[in-house]
Amino acid sequence: MASVHESLYFNPMLSNGVVHANVFGVRDWVTPHKMALLVLLSELGRAGAQLGLLERRRLNRLLLPLLQGPDMALSRLRKAIEECCPHLAGSVHIRLKLMAEGELKDMEQFFDDLSDSFSGTEPEVHKTSVVGLFLRHMILAYNKLSFSQVYKLYTALQQYFQKDEKKDGADENEMELTNPEELDGKMEKEELDGPLREEEIACSGPLSQKQAEYFLSQQASLLKNDETKALAPASLQKELNNLLKFNPDFAEAHYLSYLNSLRVQDVFSSTHSLLHYFDRLILTGAESKSNGDEGYGRSLRYAALNLAALHCRFGHYQQAELALQEAIRIAQESNDHVCLQHCLSWLYILEQKIFDSCVLLEHSVNKSLHFGLPYLASLGIQSLVQQRAFAGKAANKLMDALKDSDLLHWKHSLSELIDISIAQKTAIWRLYGRSTMALQQAQTLLSMNSLEAVNVGVQQNNTESFAVVLCHLAELHAEQGYFAAASEILKHLKERFPPNSQHAQLWMLFDQKIQFERAMNDGRYHVADSLVAGITALNSIEGVYRKAIVLKAQNQMSEAHKLLQKLLIHCQKIKNTEMVIRVLLSIAELYWRSSCHTIALPVLLQALALAQEYSLQYLASETVLNLAFSQLILGIPEQALNILHMAIEPVLAHGAVLDKGCAMFLVAKCQVASAASYTPQKKIEALESAILNLNEAKSYFAKVDCKEQLRDVLYFQARLFHTLGRTQERNKCAMLFRQLHQELPAHGVPLINAFK
Amino acid sequence: IGRAGAMAAAGMVAAAGGGDFSDLREIKKQLLSVAERSRERGLQHSGKWAAELAFALEPLPLSELPPPPVLTEEDARDLDAYTLAKSYFDLKEYDRAAYFLQGCKSQKAYFLYMYSRYLSGEKKKDDETVDSLGPLEKGQVKNEALRELRVELSKKHKAQELDGFGLYLYGVVLRKLDLVKEAIDVFVEAAHVLPLHWGAWLELCNLITDKEMLKFLSLPDTWMKEFFLAHIYTELQLIEEALQKYQSLIDAGFSKSTYIISQIAVAYHNIRDIDKALSIFNELRKQDPYRIENMDTFSNLLYVRSMKPELSYLAHNLCEIDKYRVETCCVIGNYYSLRSQHEKAALYFQRALKLNPRYLGAWTLMGHEYMEMKNTSAAIQAYRHAIEVNKRDYRAWYGLGQTYEILKMPFYCLYYYRRAHQLRPNDSRMLVALGECYEKLNQLVEAKKCYWRAYAVGDVEKMALVKLAKLHEQLNESEQAAQCYIKYIQDIYSCGEVVEHLEVSTAFRYLAQYYFKCKLWDEASACAQKCCAFNDTREEGKALLRQILQLRNQGETSSTDVAAPFFLPASLSANNTPTRRVSPLNLSSVTP
Repeated sequence: MASVHESLYFNPMLSNGVVHANVFGVRDWVTPHKMALLVLLSELGRAGAQLGLLERRRLNRLLLPLLQGPDMALSRLRKAIEECCPHLAGSVHIRLKLMAEGELKDMEQFFDDLSDSFSGTEPEVHKTSVVGLFLRHMILAYNKLSFSQVYKLYTALQQYFQKDEKKDGADENEMELTNPEELDGKMEKEELDGPLREEEIACSGPLSQKQAEYFLSQQASLLKNDETKALAPASLQKELNNLLKFNPDFAEAHYLSYLNSLRVQDVFSSTHSLLHYFDRLILTGAESKSNGDEGYGRSLRYAALNLAALHCRFGHYQQAELALQEAIRIAQESNDHVCLQHCLSWLYILEQKIFDSCVLLEHSVNKSLHFGLPYLASLGIQSLVQQRAFAGKAANKLMDALKDSDLLHWKHSLSELIDISIAQKTAIWRLYGRSTMALQQAQTLLSMNSLEAVNVGVQQNNTESFAVVLCHLAELHAEQGYFAAASEILKHLKERFPPNSQHAQLWMLFDQKIQFERAMNDGRYHVADSLVAGITALNSIEGVYRKAIVLKAQNQMSEAHKLLQKLLIHCQKIKNTEMVIRVLLSIAELYWRSSCHTIALPVLLQALALAQEYSLQYLASETVLNLAFSQLILGIPEQALNILHMAIEPVLAHGAVLDKGCAMFLVAKCQVASAASYTPQKKIEALESAILNLNEAKSYFAKVDCKEQLRDVLYFQARLFHTLGRTQERNKCAMLFRQLHQELPAHGVPLINAFK
Repeated sequence: IGRAGAMAAAGMVAAAGGGDFSDLREIKKQLLSVAERSRERGLQHSGKWAAELAFALEPLPLSELPPPPVLTEEDARDLDAYTLAKSYFDLKEYDRAAYFLQGCKSQKAYFLYMYSRYLSGEKKKDDETVDSLGPLEKGQVKNEALRELRVELSKKHKAQELDGFGLYLYGVVLRKLDLVKEAIDVFVEAAHVLPLHWGAWLELCNLITDKEMLKFLSLPDTWMKEFFLAHIYTELQLIEEALQKYQSLIDAGFSKSTYIISQIAVAYHNIRDIDKALSIFNELRKQDPYRIENMDTFSNLLYVRSMKPELSYLAHNLCEIDKYRVETCCVIGNYYSLRSQHEKAALYFQRALKLNPRYLGAWTLMGHEYMEMKNTSAAIQAYRHAIEVNKRDYRAWYGLGQTYEILKMPFYCLYYYRRAHQLRPNDSRMLVALGECYEKLNQLVEAKKCYWRAYAVGDVEKMALVKLAKLHEQLNESEQAAQCYIKYIQDIYSCGEVVEHLEVSTAFRYLAQYYFKCKLWDEASACAQKCCAFNDTREEGKALLRQILQLRNQGETSSTDVAAPFFLPASLSANNTPTRRVSPLNLSSVTP
């Protein structure tokens, strides 16, 4: 089961994906773009009644993003206005032209006139409206400028305007260029300007404060929710470097650069950026009086905590622990309970790598509730549920706990946690072997409208929960033999989580597991063997297990046994019960393959006991199947039939197609075996029903394309028909069997003795 | 006029071949003429450098004085404009100078024309920074003239019409545009065309960041190259090589050059040979009492040695000469810092930064002052600024580490100390600091490695061994602990310093007990006797002596031959000098 929690690292700046810190105190500055907006506003006022209702509405909708958005080139602005109202665009352009090509006094006059819009008994603009505030801000900012600044603004306006003109002119010029000499001259100039131009592009337009903030918050939220939509790591870094070049005090950029370096798994630069960010933050924290000393100490604690998170992310657990200790110590010294809670959650995550620590977690949940930290509390509950599920606690209690925490989520609209909760439910249902429930939960998450989606405009978030759910979905489909659907889902996963992204490992593992299963079904063991290496790289335990299975399938019993014993001991040590049971089953299979059914029985019973204790229902029924098979071989088919009734229901309801087939096949075998002692009449009935069951098994095997099993079933069926004297059917089965038999290599295991 | 003309002009002063200092008169002639030519072009600093160096050589008789530069036809045509513009230029009216030089064709006038345009741009840039349009523009104020200058100069460069000075200006423009690679090429070319122009060499020094880069440069083989190499070795912290070069320059006849003397002093300062550096600086001040350059380094030395009266004298003296110089402010800052008036010190460092925002050292020093004032956040700010200006400023990294250490974040500061250590791999202070942090984090294996390494690279404060010994003691590795203490005592004694060293008594006490446990009575009693010489261990020493006496009397009689005390360095008892070898310890085993 994939763990959902590891990736949730605390981040002081981002909550719900928005950059909150605005420590620098925005001061508005007049820029040429803003002047163009002012012109637009004044034209709008002047045009007044002439505008149609539709145009007016379009313009109003345009205004807000323009006022709040970043600066843009004049041509883009003009296009935007033109789309709403071509007439107005023309008049704005003319007024700007007049101002830019006129004198300084034109601009001064313009600003003088601006304040008129407030005056009068019925002013055009209300003072406290959005537009009014903007106007007043601008007027104030303009009045504050010194003479040289005013002059600079004017030249900037001229450049702004001329750039636009030039762009228009350039297109025409190129058409007229015919003179070869002139072309030469131009070429030379271009050549000279070549490297410089590149420079210019690199530092294209220093961003204004607002632009920069917008850019950062947008990228940060994209990084969190939908990495593929954010800028590529290299270009984002370039932008950030550019930003920092022009405004080295912009500390948030360092944080984003840290996040960006995390994306590409760059330890060095991410550490560098993180520490730089906190060094900067410490300054600003100290400067702002409201926080005083408190704010300064606070950032220190979180600095250490974040460093711990960073090391944890890169798998340096020892380093992370040291950093965490430091954070805890400082937080304790300054009585910061909130920070301590964060530390505690992290401590749990770290300790989890070493041993189970429910106590820590319970403590964390209690305290977090006490200090009113719903996010941490329910994160704790979720971790707790996860751990309890592995520890085999009662399922109803776990589901209750999840329900309670869900209440908390909806109350505080923690959409991220809702996603995680659903993903976790999917995983737990799968752990218990209830594939229908898992399927239902997975679909719920996928078709649910996220709370955040409304704001960001992204359809779905690209968080870990989605990756988990999609992976489970793929596997569920593959189990049912819908390989096309499964590969479709995997393809989607590949697109949404590109191979270098954080959660890509999840789908890589599932992809290989599915491929492995298919290869095993088809009997292409060499292919499966080649996949083992890939699986081992992503999950070592799973890899070893699969290796053993391949060895077993290749009849290398003693190697497989050795490997499985080793794995068993390891899994018992780390308390991975699910894997323990699976390993026990494989060992039992090894035993009965070597015809040691009596030795297999206690192993199977042990597995059964474990599976029932941890309520891993599906594994339990699989164990029962194995048990029944052993009993069949040991000559007590009646007993086998008895216990089969116990298992057949869950297998048919939740099982993989292959398991269903095996189960039905086994039932038929048992029926035949137990029919031996019946009266002839009863015997025929039993054989008839066995044939029906075999038909069902056949259809299951056909679904997953298991030719070997199919062949066995056919052989068996032919024998039954023969006994019943139905020659035609017998011949048909025999023919099919022969076809398959020619296709497949025969191997030594006697047909009747193979259960799987 | 083409390359030929430029070559002819350069040929007149073509420098003698590589490292050939046999003809000092010729060198002097070249220096005098290049000083004159630099001055004509307004390149004050290069002129000053050449003149200083020329002053160090024997005066020439009248007959051998270099003739005044020959005027060409073009020079004559531009003479009036040049004379007028030069006087404007000297009065810092650059735009005016450029205006009157428009259209001048002669090399000299053309250079002055371009140079004054460049300087005008720079001056405006500095002025602009004061009132810009908002914070977003703060970083982007740039010299507007640079682009035009680059286009024009590169055209001339392609046509090979630039002389040495022109190439130099072209290089400066490229560097200002952050086109480092191109700039290096152009500076190398400038050095080839006019090797005597120190400015080009100096710019190269600033652009070359490591030894590898230096190897791949093809430099002209002249005596100027020796000066360049010495200078760049100092910059790259290759002090041994630098000192060698300077020594050979002195041997060649430049013994009176204040430039070389100051450089040697700076080099000694860099390897922390404080006494040598101090004596050289004192000598320098005798020869050149009104010198302000490098005096900040001198004051650092005085500060380290806590020589209050000398520092005070220096501060007053410099203040009289010129109080609005960066170096003066720095000296005064150091002076206040030594007197523990840290607020005032910080004030003066701030002033230094106002005078020259690119003056690196002041940020770091200011950081130190804030640290003293316990204003950690301001200190962090200052250090960060220092790093921003120069990423290779190891003192700032070290200072940041110290700040966080004071804030009791030993793990956090590891990163900073590591950075500092990277920059100065052979500086024991960073290693000791790293070791202390590891010790606080209870990572004793790493700590041991750090201390051992610190000892191996030559420990300045002599504390690494004691710390190492204590670590061994803690880990119950008594054998190694004893070894470390012995080495430590040997070190202290071989220095010949009889200065009261705190840990000597501890060392002797441990050794006495160690030998006592090992039943080596002679050694034990020798150490115990030593213990009696210190106040804090006297009683223990006496008690131990009594015990030894008792046990000895019980046992056999001691051997009577008294060997040389084992703790004296071997060099004092025998003639084999102990060699310190740096064992290849893997310091980077820890993840960053």
